[in-house]
Amino acid sequence: MHSLCFSKILILLGTLAVGGCSISKWTVKPHQRELLADRIMQLDAEAQERAAEEHILSNREGAIGGTGTSGGGCGCN
Amino acid sequence: MQLNLRRPIAVVVLAFAAIGFARTARATNTAEAAVRTTMFDEPSTKNEGVRVYHPQVDLSATVASTLAIAGGYSADVVTGATPATFDVVSAATKFSDTRHLGHASAGFERPDGGIGFSFAYGTESDYRSTVFSGTTHHDLYEHNFTLALAYSHNWDRVCDADNTAAAGQPLALVALPSSAGCFTNTMGITTQKLNIDTFEPSLSWTMTPRLVVQGGATIQILDGFQSNPYRKVLVGSQNRTPQERHPQFRQRYALFFRMAYAFPDLRASALLMVRGYDDSWAVRAITGDLVGTKYIGQYLLVSGRAHWHEQTAASFYRDADGYRILGPAGQFWTGDRELSPMGNYLLGGKIAFFRRPMQERSSWFVEMELGGKYEFLYYRPESAVAPNADRKYAQIVQGAFAMRF
Repeated sequence: MHSLCFSKILILLGTLAVGGCSISKWTVKPHQRELLADRIMQLDAEAQERAAEEHILSNREGAIGGTGTSGGGCGCN
Repeated sequence: MQLNLRRPIAVVVLAFAAIGFARTARATNTAEAAVRTTMFDEPSTKNEGVRVYHPQVDLSATVASTLAIAGGYSADVVTGATPATFDVVSAATKFSDTRHLGHASAGFERPDGGIGFSFAYGTESDYRSTVFSGTTHHDLYEHNFTLALAYSHNWDRVCDADNTAAAGQPLALVALPSSAGCFTNTMGITTQKLNIDTFEPSLSWTMTPRLVVQGGATIQILDGFQSNPYRKVLVGSQNRTPQERHPQFRQRYALFFRMAYAFPDLRASALLMVRGYDDSWAVRAITGDLVGTKYIGQYLLVSGRAHWHEQTAASFYRDADGYRILGPAGQFWTGDRELSPMGNYLLGGKIAFFRRPMQERSSWFVEMELGGKYEFLYYRPESAVAPNADRKYAQIVQGAFAMRF
């Protein structure tokens, strides 16, 4: 029973991986990224300002993380 | 001078930001120069509190549309007063110090991804930090997904009193009286090591033309001296005041989720961050951050921010009365507010003015930005005898100027 469910999952994942054409239906096209390119939509814009903010909060909180890496954004470049 | 123990974390954040700064510059401009000054003012009901001035200068440029370089300098000018002993009666000790931090980074960008490296060095009278970082990112499925990985390593050196004579007797630990003699082979003074490894994977997804989401994790491993060498803690009914003692090892984990959503009719956006945190010292926390930004006219940008943080205490934490009456909770003790059960709440706003040259005129710059920010940070300690319970709030004021070419 479990092996049958696992096989079905594998087949589904394989179909998704091979079916690149079907995935492209759900992607955001370059001509649709106008809003995402704006500075106010960048998760990692103003990196140095965020560093200054984190510099303060990391000294006043016992937790770290959540600032993300240099990834993210609209992928417009 | 009171040692600030989260300095290594701040240096790591700055190192990652340096790489991100270079990458951002490459994506939208060819060069950028920015100057920013932040003032952090934390008053106290018992003494003069703490004030920090944080000036920073950052430069970045792209070369041949592939190589992104950046560099910068910042400083922390700290003055204030804080009790040398964590108890209910000790008066504050005045201190002042200046920390210098320089960083440089380089990144290589291609259409579908890139890689970057950063180096940072920080120094002050009692603490030195050397950080090397690397990041890589790759776009997938027509730039709809971005997988990013970042790693950094700290080689930190901390000045401490020589407690060789107290080996095996933690209650006999002596606190460092001052930073005089640090890093100079002075008798009675030693240098402790602290190594930190930080790893941050993240995955971003452009879900819709108006929505970007990102999920990721932060994993940090600290190995070395993590106590405040100046701070003493009153433990037990015999009023012994040994130096603060933290475990040598700490593993820290965080999961975070971020999203940015556009409101094109309002010319605005909302950015949300939620973070869950846990570590091997039993501190658990949840944090939320919400920023709303809106264009006003053609050249003005305003934003508002709300931040909320709640956390539990470290397993070896007690408040001042707890340490005095019950003694230490195990073999470690602390007077660090950031290891106590507490919360903080922040509200703030920012305004920025952008100036671009007229299109029909040639100009030596692409954009000029002038901005200011004010934030109010309110602290909520668990009890009146928690560490730094005399400090109810802090104010943050920042001014910035940037030129893009």
